[in-house]
Amino acid sequence: MNSEADYRPGPRPIRYGGSADELARYRRLVAEHGSPLLLLSRGRLTAQYRALQGHLPGVALYYAIKAFPHPAVIEILAGLGCHFDVASAGEIELLKPLGISGRRSIHTHPVKKPEHIKAALRGGATTFVVDNADEMAKLRPFRHRVGLLLRISFRSDSAAVDLSRKFGCAPEQAAALVMQAQAMGLHVRGLSFHVGSQSLNPQAHVTAIQRCAALIEDINRRVNNPLSTLDIGGGFPVDYEQAGFDHAAYFAPIRDALRGLPEDWQIIAEPGRFLVAPAVTSVCTVSGKARRGDYQWYYLDDGVYGSYSGQLFDHMRYPLQVFNEQPERQPSILAGPTCDSIDIIAEDVLLPDLQEGDLVIGHMMGAYTAATSTRFNSLNAARILVID
Amino acid sequence: MKEFQETLYDSISQCFRIDKMYFEHKTEHQHLMIFHNAFLGRVMTLDGIVQTTEKDEFIYHEMMAHVPILARGAARSVLIIGGGDGAMLREVCKHRAVERIVMVEIDAEVIEMAKRYLPNHSAGAFDDPRLELVISDGMDFVRHAGAEQFDVIISDSTDPIGPGEVLFSGDFYGQCKRILKPGGVMATQNGVPFFQLDELQHTRERMGRHFADQAFYSAAVPTYYGGIMAFGWGSDDPSLRRLGVDELRARYRAAAIETRYYSPEIHHASFALPRYLLDALNEPPA
Repeated sequence: MNSEADYRPGPRPIRYGGSADELARYRRLVAEHGSPLLLLSRGRLTAQYRALQGHLPGVALYYAIKAFPHPAVIEILAGLGCHFDVASAGEIELLKPLGISGRRSIHTHPVKKPEHIKAALRGGATTFVVDNADEMAKLRPFRHRVGLLLRISFRSDSAAVDLSRKFGCAPEQAAALVMQAQAMGLHVRGLSFHVGSQSLNPQAHVTAIQRCAALIEDINRRVNNPLSTLDIGGGFPVDYEQAGFDHAAYFAPIRDALRGLPEDWQIIAEPGRFLVAPAVTSVCTVSGKARRGDYQWYYLDDGVYGSYSGQLFDHMRYPLQVFNEQPERQPSILAGPTCDSIDIIAEDVLLPDLQEGDLVIGHMMGAYTAATSTRFNSLNAARILVID
Repeated sequence: MKEFQETLYDSISQCFRIDKMYFEHKTEHQHLMIFHNAFLGRVMTLDGIVQTTEKDEFIYHEMMAHVPILARGAARSVLIIGGGDGAMLREVCKHRAVERIVMVEIDAEVIEMAKRYLPNHSAGAFDDPRLELVISDGMDFVRHAGAEQFDVIISDSTDPIGPGEVLFSGDFYGQCKRILKPGGVMATQNGVPFFQLDELQHTRERMGRHFADQAFYSAAVPTYYGGIMAFGWGSDDPSLRRLGVDELRARYRAAAIETRYYSPEIHHASFALPRYLLDALNEPPA
């Protein structure tokens, strides 16, 4: 999710109107399945996966399950050959009923309870991310079975961008930690890093790749088992502003940086947001309205305790769409269904006059939306449907 | 899925072609498969790890049943913990001198599934009138077992990382000792020590607390990848594992059992461990 990195949400795009077909389709789904809904597009998810493969050729993609931990997403991506980044015992359990081998997963949470390590091994994950000696000691009993990725944090050495605060060891500690692991009989197979989520500047990745490559080459001069894996994390941005973000231009320098690495290294990435954000659309309904002071209030049946929870936890603003095209618009507030006053999706947006029963569509709502929604006020979470 | 790739180790892995899927059971908690492989016959896997195959199961089951039973001599009662596929029972049943067999399996469904999809494993042994089948947690069973004592206890468990973990605890070995007759023998599966050296060291420490004589013997089971596997041995009578080949031959002849791997010579030799394992047993676990 979003670390307090460089991303600040821009102005929220609102689309007024849409095709009659589009509206009829949303209405039909709501009539059949109720409201609110989250619509997962198999086609869009597939397209995002293929696009990322194109942007990062030769990189093994491990979907960060936490972004949208739904079996349908996992199954669709598994079918495309994707691997999985799991960060908890519960995420591993999502793979089992789908018959997906744990061999296709890595465990990326740097801090683990011992029972989580056992659950991960039982689930078939044998690669674990660590960032300190205490965590290595927890893995020591399983040293004959596991391989480690050492997570590096590059802190504020170039820009004012803090790439990693909660996890990761300092680059200067890396060699000593690898030597410590070796002394414990543990094998460090490579390094990993995370530049923060929705990272708009590819230079963060480029710098981290170059510094990790230098670290690995330095470490490999001293250890018995060479490091051969570089995990470049995720953080690849999506276009919440709908302003025509140039993904080709964004990925080109990252691709160039990777091209400079030795051919026998395995490069892996952990995309979450990039794959799933554009693949999910929220549909909710105006359940009531009120005039309060200068604002027209609309109360929706989904809000920041539900699918829009990412506005709080993930600091994102999702593009909205209403189907009323009339040109007169008034300052409005879109509020969620709970009793809490913070349950507001959008303040001071210009909206045409909406009626009870009108639909409000939220786009780009796959990443960290349903994943962090709550059951506050005993409201049901939006139903997730797989479309196309 | 067209192939099964084992998930035991990070840097190496064995891979089996799946020629036909007979049975697949996927839940949140486990993923069990029984499939056909052209070379191995039926293969059962649990959570990414090979449990048993038709082609090489005889090595494992013969060594875990006949070594303790013939070493004990005149074994009349045998307790099997686990072994839901029925092959351990099949081997124990070969001994006509055994009068009573108690088998404790935690999951009744495993037995039904094995009868149906791995019929050659039990080969009808579940119908043997000497069998008392108990569906229960093995640890609970030995903890609450009454005065009855056994000549031989065989712990045919799964991997120690998982539901079988408690069957590798000091408490379990202590309870087994309690319900073992004086001079009885306990045998356990103890993994492949080339990869799982700690398991050997842990068992030495945990089992050794309860038995005057704690040892290991070995056999190579090809699909338990990594060379020889170790079997744990616990008894209060150190002479039981030092029986001469002549004595073992006599007992084997008297038992009149048919075997494909077991022989008195193999039995005797199986207690010889390679130097690197003897060294490891002199060190505490990491």
